[in-house]
Amino acid sequence: MDKRMDEKTLHAAADWWTRLRDPSEAARTVEHWLEWIGADDRHLEAFEQVTELGDRLGSLDDLTRQQFMREFARPVAVPPAASPRRWLPLAAAAAAVLVLVGSYVGWSRSGAQAVPQVYSSAIAQNRSVTLPDGSTVALGGASTLTTRFSHGERRVELGGGEAFFQVKHDAQRPFIVNAGTLFIRDVGTAFDVRRTGQRVSIAVTQGRVQIANNAGVVGSTDTGSLEAGAGELVSYDPATSAMSIGKITPEQATAWRSDRLEFIDEPLGVVIANVNRYSARPIHIADADLKALTFTGNIKTGAIDSWLSALPQVFPLRVSEDTSQVTLSDAEPGQKPPSPAKQ
Amino acid sequence: MDTLDKAVDADINAAKSPAHAAQVAELFREHNRALIAFLQCRLNSLSDAQELAQEAYVRMLTLEHPERLDSLRAYLFRIAANLAVDRLRMRKVRNDKMRNDMVTEPPQEDLHLAPVPERLASTVEQWRHLRNALRELPAKTSQAFVMHVIEGRDFSVIAQAMKLSERMVRYHVTNALAHCRARVNEPEMP
Repeated sequence: MDKRMDEKTLHAAADWWTRLRDPSEAARTVEHWLEWIGADDRHLEAFEQVTELGDRLGSLDDLTRQQFMREFARPVAVPPAASPRRWLPLAAAAAAVLVLVGSYVGWSRSGAQAVPQVYSSAIAQNRSVTLPDGSTVALGGASTLTTRFSHGERRVELGGGEAFFQVKHDAQRPFIVNAGTLFIRDVGTAFDVRRTGQRVSIAVTQGRVQIANNAGVVGSTDTGSLEAGAGELVSYDPATSAMSIGKITPEQATAWRSDRLEFIDEPLGVVIANVNRYSARPIHIADADLKALTFTGNIKTGAIDSWLSALPQVFPLRVSEDTSQVTLSDAEPGQKPPSPAKQ
Repeated sequence: MDTLDKAVDADINAAKSPAHAAQVAELFREHNRALIAFLQCRLNSLSDAQELAQEAYVRMLTLEHPERLDSLRAYLFRIAANLAVDRLRMRKVRNDKMRNDMVTEPPQEDLHLAPVPERLASTVEQWRHLRNALRELPAKTSQAFVMHVIEGRDFSVIAQAMKLSERMVRYHVTNALAHCRARVNEPEMP
């Protein structure tokens, strides 16, 4: 078995391995592979060897896996200024286990008081985190969370994406979530926060929260603050700086945890930004007017492609795609109503 | 393999005809190794591969109209491929559930399950060879390989993260896999 296998055969075996890994690979590929196997006794042996290695490496213990990821799965060349897409490889590197990237940053900050810890998830990956105080967070796809816990308060910043918080209440040590310009303080609570750019929505599934805008002084009675209870959905629109309150069930608020994204009267631009947190290929909106279309409905994160293909039936748009991205643009010019300016 | 033989024997009565049972037995003899390798490639687990192969034979035996099939072999591999897809889906559901259940347990728990020191030492030694092999490769090649094989990411996700086409990702993974296997096969140098 451990006889030396020539490199050419091993390379061919590895090539078959990567081809057969893809579940969408046609039955023809399997047939061709079987022909290759039948052509030489050493072919199957070589294939078994690469498969055995793939198996072993795919089931490493956490520690070893992290070591490999740390050394090899870093981005090859990433400029320090991270654009929204650029942080992806980093998030991917950190994904299999939540890696605490921020701990070393903490030393230079306010001593041992509030050491920031960063939790991030990769695209299409939901993660659960238990915070040091016993509160738990379910993190949605492509989401980032920074915690700064001190004796006096527990601060959590949602950098982007979505998170569902189940907070261990401690009156002496308020739990405050910052998302964009909003600050949300728990009053013994479970709630979901979704941040799309500066747009934030908060769904309370249990207990109450206080929400303040910008002020940072939570609980003060300035005009930008309000209180929301279980079953309420607070949406903050940065364009109008207004918060509106609607109704939401706990099932709707946390549907994403069951791989289903729920949207109620949300602009398509916001919908797509959130779908992108679960989509293997980024989806772009080419024509800005499409972003304002309002969408209500469910999207299964495992079936984004079929949702996309059905979109033109609902909206005046067309979907064009290649292997690396999907583009939504206005429906064919011929189908648009004639412009009144030209007669 | 013994268990597979037994399974096939046990279910032979379920077969629609003795002739068909003989054909399936023949398939097993000729292609079982390839079938296991195929399933192991998809599933990254030899025990799962063996289990699903067994299931595939049972389904072959209980086929309603085997005579209508062009190729029993092609059908066997198709059943196996479908079973593998189902199994991967089930694993995903289970993993998600585990992640959700994890809220009752601090994530640091994993570290306590790390191997005992002596086992850790041998593990480190075992992988030192591979680490060196990966270091011999271009950075993109080792990155794509680690992301796919060790982290378990799909080619499409890696393609997006690395800004490469999926074909290039496969190309890198293939090269690294062949290289690493060749290095693993090398006799230990003192």
